[in-house]
Amino acid sequence: MKTLDPITVQVIGASLVTAAEEMGAVLRRASYSTNIKERSDCSTALFDEHGRLVAQAENMPIHMGSMTGLIDSLVASGLTVRPEDVFITNDPYHGGGTHLPDITMVKPVFADGELIGYSADIAHHSDIGGRVPGSNAGDSNSLFQEGLRVPLVKFATADGVEQAPLAFVELNSRLPQERRGDMLAQLAAVEVGERRLREVHRRYGRETVRAATAHLLDHSRKRLAAALREVPDGTYRFHDLMDPTEGPATEIAVALTVDGERVALDFAGTGPQSPVGINVVRPALEATVYYALKAVLDPGIPPNGGFFDAVEIVAPPGSIVNPDEPAPVTARTDTCQRVADAVLGALAAAVPERVPAASHSTVTYVTFSGESDGDYFVYPEVVAGGGGARPTKDGLDAVQVHITNSSNLPIEALEQEYPLLVDVYELIPDSGGAGTHRGGLGVRRDVRVLGDGAEFSAHADRQATRPWGLRGGGDGSPGRFVVNPGRDDEHRLPGGRVSGVQLRQGDVLRVESPGSGGFGDPASRSAAQVRDDLRNGLVTEQAARDLYGFRSAD
Amino acid sequence: MLRIGVDVGGTFTDVTALDAATGRFHIHKLPSTTDDQSVAVAEGIREVLRHAGAEPGDVEYLGHGTTVATNTVLESDGALTTLVTTAGLRDVLEIGRQQRPDLYDMDADKAPPLVPRALVHAVVERMSAEGKVLVPLDEDDVAAALDGVGQAEPEAVAVCFLHSYRNADHELEVADRLRSALPRVYVCASAEVAPVFREFERFSTTVVNAYVGPKINRYMSRLAERIRATGVPVEPRVIGSSGGMMSLDSVSRHPVTTLLSGPSAGVVAASHVAGQAGLSNLITFDMGGTSTDVCLVRDGGALVSSQRRINHRPVRTPSLDIHTVGAGGGSVARVDPGGALEVGPGSAGSQPGPAAYGRGGTEPTVTDANVLRGWLNPEFILGGELAVDYAAAERAVDGVARAMEADRSVAARGIGRIAAANMAGAVRKVSVEAGEDPRGYALVAFGGAGPLHAVEVAREVGMSTVLVPPNPGTLCALGLLVTDIRTEFAKAVLEDADVRDPDKLNEMLHEVHASARGWLASEAPSGADTKITGEAKLRYARQNFELSVPLPQRVIDAARFDSDAVAGIVEAFHEQHTRSYGFAHRDARVQIVEVQLTAAAVVDKPELPAVPEGTEPGDALLGRRRVDFDETGPVDTPVYDRTGLRAGTVLPGPAIVEQLDTTTVVTPAATARVDRHGNLVIEVEQR
Repeated sequence: MKTLDPITVQVIGASLVTAAEEMGAVLRRASYSTNIKERSDCSTALFDEHGRLVAQAENMPIHMGSMTGLIDSLVASGLTVRPEDVFITNDPYHGGGTHLPDITMVKPVFADGELIGYSADIAHHSDIGGRVPGSNAGDSNSLFQEGLRVPLVKFATADGVEQAPLAFVELNSRLPQERRGDMLAQLAAVEVGERRLREVHRRYGRETVRAATAHLLDHSRKRLAAALREVPDGTYRFHDLMDPTEGPATEIAVALTVDGERVALDFAGTGPQSPVGINVVRPALEATVYYALKAVLDPGIPPNGGFFDAVEIVAPPGSIVNPDEPAPVTARTDTCQRVADAVLGALAAAVPERVPAASHSTVTYVTFSGESDGDYFVYPEVVAGGGGARPTKDGLDAVQVHITNSSNLPIEALEQEYPLLVDVYELIPDSGGAGTHRGGLGVRRDVRVLGDGAEFSAHADRQATRPWGLRGGGDGSPGRFVVNPGRDDEHRLPGGRVSGVQLRQGDVLRVESPGSGGFGDPASRSAAQVRDDLRNGLVTEQAARDLYGFRSAD
Repeated sequence: MLRIGVDVGGTFTDVTALDAATGRFHIHKLPSTTDDQSVAVAEGIREVLRHAGAEPGDVEYLGHGTTVATNTVLESDGALTTLVTTAGLRDVLEIGRQQRPDLYDMDADKAPPLVPRALVHAVVERMSAEGKVLVPLDEDDVAAALDGVGQAEPEAVAVCFLHSYRNADHELEVADRLRSALPRVYVCASAEVAPVFREFERFSTTVVNAYVGPKINRYMSRLAERIRATGVPVEPRVIGSSGGMMSLDSVSRHPVTTLLSGPSAGVVAASHVAGQAGLSNLITFDMGGTSTDVCLVRDGGALVSSQRRINHRPVRTPSLDIHTVGAGGGSVARVDPGGALEVGPGSAGSQPGPAAYGRGGTEPTVTDANVLRGWLNPEFILGGELAVDYAAAERAVDGVARAMEADRSVAARGIGRIAAANMAGAVRKVSVEAGEDPRGYALVAFGGAGPLHAVEVAREVGMSTVLVPPNPGTLCALGLLVTDIRTEFAKAVLEDADVRDPDKLNEMLHEVHASARGWLASEAPSGADTKITGEAKLRYARQNFELSVPLPQRVIDAARFDSDAVAGIVEAFHEQHTRSYGFAHRDARVQIVEVQLTAAAVVDKPELPAVPEGTEPGDALLGRRRVDFDETGPVDTPVYDRTGLRAGTVLPGPAIVEQLDTTTVVTPAATARVDRHGNLVIEVEQR
């Protein structure tokens, strides 16, 4: 490693991070679909010439490091790489992100004919074909049902965009115009990254950038090491359950070992891969583990290859966290959230003062689709829930947690666009687990069908299990889907993973997301806090009395 | 006759008076009075009059920039506010966009809603997205809400119903009834404050407006009273967030529009000064003690955004698109657990301030590094008012140096470079988000620390020109003298841009136009040159993002679209989409999301005074000192007195220029030239 003044290293690092953020700004500005533009379900990154991630602007932790496999696949593919070539894939088993709707794009960057790095981005496309609109049903039983599988192919060359892959994707998507716009936006973003990477090389010289990259990676490794030194050595185990699909519930088990500056996670004991799309491919497992470690150990660790390479992860083949191709994967986020819970649970034993109780820890993903004025529509939404109560304070109400952080669609926007009406969008009282520090509240969203009918599909978890409390804190409430609440024909849907539920005009679909666990003995909660919660309607009188022993005279 | 501008900042109140007859400026600075800003405002006016040898009756114009609204939100010190909203949606503010405040820091908290949940009253009513009444206003609920609001004894009420931007009948009815029932309570409806779509942002804006309303109103009436007491015969005008002057009455009705009052005056002044120097594409760079404000000005006009947040709360009224980074002279440097040097966002603030200030500060700041590098005077700063504690600065920086295992000089240089890299990132960000290349722009530096770092930031970003105005520390007050009387009227439209049927569009355009005309009739001075301009925000149907396209003047003048005009703006939208994103969908349905009209009365802008000419620095040379630059290491560098510099003088870098309110650093890779107005125009060599 060439010696280099540490400030230059950081200035180069800052330029690369700024460049990745600039790529993200271009991608969001240029994209066509709400998913990318409004919900920022996309990430951008720059790699060195060895394919090590140097700078990433991730809007969702599930994208952390998830493009790394793409570079490996590109190198392994034996494809000829010429300057100006751009590649895409969405194959989760071969470097293409973590499920089919995520299209990954990469442009190898050359300066003076030599490879100097890679500029890449990943974006969630709102429909990539498959058996359900939105390509995101939780109950598909093979990758082939989940949508178009795009192998690693050239998307553009020095002669411009290759029409064939674009046409394939367009023809297979229910929303072809969006696909075209979004893929061209992805292209614009990787080109900005390429330009910036070249500028940095021109300015500092190749050797300096190389040396700086090595230092930047080493810096992340050192920060992880420094944080690990504060964790007592030992092996910490935890296990949690997924909602059952067919047969018994799947267990997520982890043994986390800290040994000095080393950390290793072994998922031995985790249940077998699922027949439905809740399987987690390697990049998604890695991103989840990186997320949990970063959040607990040192939120400021720069997410780069130096950090990732220092974490050892073993997952049993054929398990839900290491499935065999072509197991379906689209609803992997629910399992990722449970993996995050398991890793956090293990860390709670190691550093109890830093780890919150379980959050709602699911991605309550729902889609309504149908026809309106002769146009096909797909309205996807993610409903947030409670954030786990923290060791020193209450959990956050109605937030996205762990591996995602996507925003909702404003009611006024969705009612403009779709024949749907939102009757209720409110917090659910008592959904947060009781505790010295109360768990965050889940959310109720009632959607009424105005048109000739609509089809409802969803994947969600924590409808059969509850988010756990810690240190005497109570569990949060589970989520559920209910059709026509309060009417004679009210019925609850069988679970969180459903598709093709037919709704008629006037029907209401109620989505309830889970709350979160409480932290510490509820009896130790101050009367003033209970009174505030009561006054604000966050807990009911009965819960205040039964769970907190609150009397109105207090 | 005298024109006066008074800008109130956190520490100082700056007063600038312009004598219209002589063209002379009088500048005065006094400590701000934080309990009641109007005390220092009145005092400053008296003093500047004395200074200028003028009488109160000579004052023909008084402009004011205030931080009352901002501070009220930042310090959570606003009115007890209640909210009346649509049943079923009482948690719009609680849920927001459902995003957590930090991706990785699980301890981070959301900004609590300004209205506690217990003070939210839900009323059964419902409009459709087309503005049709789906559920009529429930009489019993309204009565109960009126009752409930009354019992809470609030100072302010916000009324926010779904789709009120489309049909405000329910909202206005409830607001009216609240006003009758509670005459002393400040009441506002979302359709009055920001009739635009997307409920969380509109509700949030309305609630912020209600929350700051009573306090702003009290302040404005005290201010008017104290100014009357000085004998000044004119009512002050206040600069709003979008860089336009408004009457006290306008401010009382829309206090939320003053959230960015102070910073916007700086941007307006910077554009004015740069404009007279022949520069119309610029990025303003206002660096103070705790933060740096950056704003892009294109073709002489600052970019305006409606997507701003204050203290994490969205405010959807047009504001200058000022981007703030937590990097200032007081930003603290530390070494992270991985051994890397970080600067900010923590700040030593004004108390204790940097170690070099000798007020007990021990943490190393950007200012301390600048003292050790010779960028700042090692003996006295703030024009000699403050003796530098050099040893304290050394001790502070040594702490970082030890942790870095480096020399003191390496640490000091490192702090400067990292701070510059952070600020360069902010400059790039405002450019990129505007779709512009910063290399075509000039950097205009002001604030106490802007001129210190502007040249290295410009070089880092690849900008070749830096402009430092004559009085960078009081530029905001100057801005108040050159700001037009102006405000914006925005209205959600959400109609297809259908050439066959412009009637629906015209209905809304007509409404906004009437508001704009009415405002001008009451605000514009008689005989002033007035104009209404406007833009439309368009999108492809189902796209959730809009692009602005200017409205043809003939459409605005007639307050009417015809088929050609609609076709014209649709074509302009396709072109804008192609420019911004590289493609257009000419066969897709195009929607007009919003129409925004700007009503303005132009004020006379003073010519900046010329400075005497002379090619030699002569007496301006104060001496020389060793100054440490990245490119060269420590070099013997001339130090000049800004006030002694003549127009036409060229100062090749390295050079230091000192003045009362700031220090300008001309690095070895730059050359400064004094222009006829006394601006330092610095050409920066590119790497």
